[in-house]
Amino acid sequence: MRVGAVAPARLRRRLAIAFVLTAGVSTAALAIGSYLIVRSSRLDDSAARAVSQSTFNLRFAAGQTPPGGLLDAYRTRGDFCAIVVPAGARPLRDLSCPTPKQVPSDLRRLVAAGQLARQRVEIAGRHELVVGGRLANGTTLYFFYDEQQVWDDLGALRNVLAVGWLALTLLAGLIGTLLARRTLAPVSAASQAARSLAEGLLDTRLPVAGDDEFGAWAASFNEMAEALEAKIAALSDAQQRERAFTANVAHELRTPLTALVGEAELLAEHAAAMPEEPGRLARLLVADVGRLRRLTDDLLEISRIDSGQERTATELVNAGQVVAGVLRGNGWSDRVELYADQVVLSTDRRRLERIVANLVGNAIAHGGASIVVRVTRDGDAALVEVADDGPGLAPEFLPHVFDRFSKADRSRSEGGSGLGLAIARENARLLGGDLTAANRPGGGALFGLLLPVSEPLHAGEEAVAQAAQDVDAHPSTKEE
Amino acid sequence: MNAHLLLVEDDRSIREVTTLALERAGFGVTACGDGTEALRLFAQRPYDAVLLDVMLPGSDGFEVCREIRRTHATPIVMLTARADTHDVVIGLELGADDYVTKPFEPAELVARLRAVLRRGTAPAQPRLLRFGDLEIDEAGFRARRGGHDLSLTATEFRLLCELARRPGQVFTRDILLDLVWGYEFLGDSRLVDVAVQRLRGKLERDPSQPALIATVRGVGYRFEQP
Repeated sequence: MRVGAVAPARLRRRLAIAFVLTAGVSTAALAIGSYLIVRSSRLDDSAARAVSQSTFNLRFAAGQTPPGGLLDAYRTRGDFCAIVVPAGARPLRDLSCPTPKQVPSDLRRLVAAGQLARQRVEIAGRHELVVGGRLANGTTLYFFYDEQQVWDDLGALRNVLAVGWLALTLLAGLIGTLLARRTLAPVSAASQAARSLAEGLLDTRLPVAGDDEFGAWAASFNEMAEALEAKIAALSDAQQRERAFTANVAHELRTPLTALVGEAELLAEHAAAMPEEPGRLARLLVADVGRLRRLTDDLLEISRIDSGQERTATELVNAGQVVAGVLRGNGWSDRVELYADQVVLSTDRRRLERIVANLVGNAIAHGGASIVVRVTRDGDAALVEVADDGPGLAPEFLPHVFDRFSKADRSRSEGGSGLGLAIARENARLLGGDLTAANRPGGGALFGLLLPVSEPLHAGEEAVAQAAQDVDAHPSTKEE
Repeated sequence: MNAHLLLVEDDRSIREVTTLALERAGFGVTACGDGTEALRLFAQRPYDAVLLDVMLPGSDGFEVCREIRRTHATPIVMLTARADTHDVVIGLELGADDYVTKPFEPAELVARLRAVLRRGTAPAQPRLLRFGDLEIDEAGFRARRGGHDLSLTATEFRLLCELARRPGQVFTRDILLDLVWGYEFLGDSRLVDVAVQRLRGKLERDPSQPALIATVRGVGYRFEQP
């Protein structure tokens, strides 16, 4: 369930990322491609113009014998500047033009070999295109064309494309997230619905929107939920009926049983005076009525717990005093050793008494001669342990010791209803605690009752301790 | 002592066997099977105690209890179906002194009856206690406040006596059960709580803010000397 709760968010992120990647990569490819096309066309264009101008310049120079006038003629053109290197003489140039040293050596070599050559260079931070050529008389000419504008335009284009790409990618991210959320909304709704179904809200249904796959899925989900709800309703009805029946049976048994219990008690007084055979039958009858009575009492109690209408009435109690009271009330004080720490907890006193009575009663019925009850505090819990030195619990019986009508030894369990330990555990759980059973290493069984100590009030402990002292000081009390 | 009891129980077998057991224990018993008949019988002669089933034809046990309490402090023991329902608390709040749960052993019923009846007899050394305008006359079995009789039942009166004899001392519910109800076996602490509530209702000027009988949280009760 927890995995299901996380998946839609992860899936949503993945979908959004995929969307962004697709948009980002394709727009980047488009931008870079168009930039490259524009760049190469602008540069080719600029180079072609420079070359044709240079060709014209060379032809013009071939007709001028004194090279000194050349520079003036070129200057009137204005969109380039020139260096004239007559064979064996000093180079001539405008002062604003680059020096011959700034002509790349690769280019110089090509020009010296008689070719018309060009190369792009960067001089003082500006892009220039240098075209060089050689005349038949050995004079070499270099022309510098300023290409800065082309490169500036290309740079501006690059920036526009980058900003545009970023904006488009962000937009794609936003749209992708929204789209993913919308697309996956049915998934997250279904996951939520499944969770609330699991929590027991059986009337949970999904809205069936549209006739796409999600719509069909929602419809099947709803069918499943409906079937589940019907099935569980039928089951719980059946269970309700069964429990109501048990409760009714036990309840109806009570009236004749009350009469039987009274009659048996009176009959018991006469049994001793009866002839042997009727006397024996009378005693058997009395014992069986007692057994029937205990069984009915236990059935009534467990069906009350099953009905879920049991309420607990909590008060501050001293666990050791409650146990001592149970032992005294049942006449077990002489048979059972009690070691009790001062443990005060807020719990239902009557239920605690019931649990302790069942555990000790069970130990007396099945355990050995020596029974020890310990009351201790274990962190946030109160622990009541009942240990005996009897034969202990058979390993195959151990997991079922708290099952209803489970008896360790059917032949020996006269008197017991088989419900005592089940009732004790139900009561322990009603009190927010639990009951455990184990075998002691040295032999014998050990039952442990763990109850939460939810109110560790010092004031309360003092008050109870004070009350305990009052009890000791009281003349007519029977507390030990 | 030969106390005479009124037994109200609609099941014929239970009625018969209970009558038999009570008679063997030395009580005089008048038995009947419905609530209206019970009230008619009760009006005819005084009884020392009433045993009252809750589910009755005619007027139910609660109604009979309320009717009797209107005029008499006679001890009432309810015979209830279940110990853990509202039945018990409702019965106690209506003024019943005690209850037994079906199925019950007649011996237990007899023990409770004897305890209830014992509450109605004066203590060995009756005293006259005075606290301001509150006057408790143990011999005369009467408590008065500001000159008015409080008309307490025997249980309420004994509860007041035990608390007032040792002002300032904290009594746990167990000790009160022992002293007032006379139980050496496990009693129901709700008996004490409901009886204290009823006693406050008759005794205190403002029962919602008790000044005489204080609750010691988690422990029990204490009589505060005014």
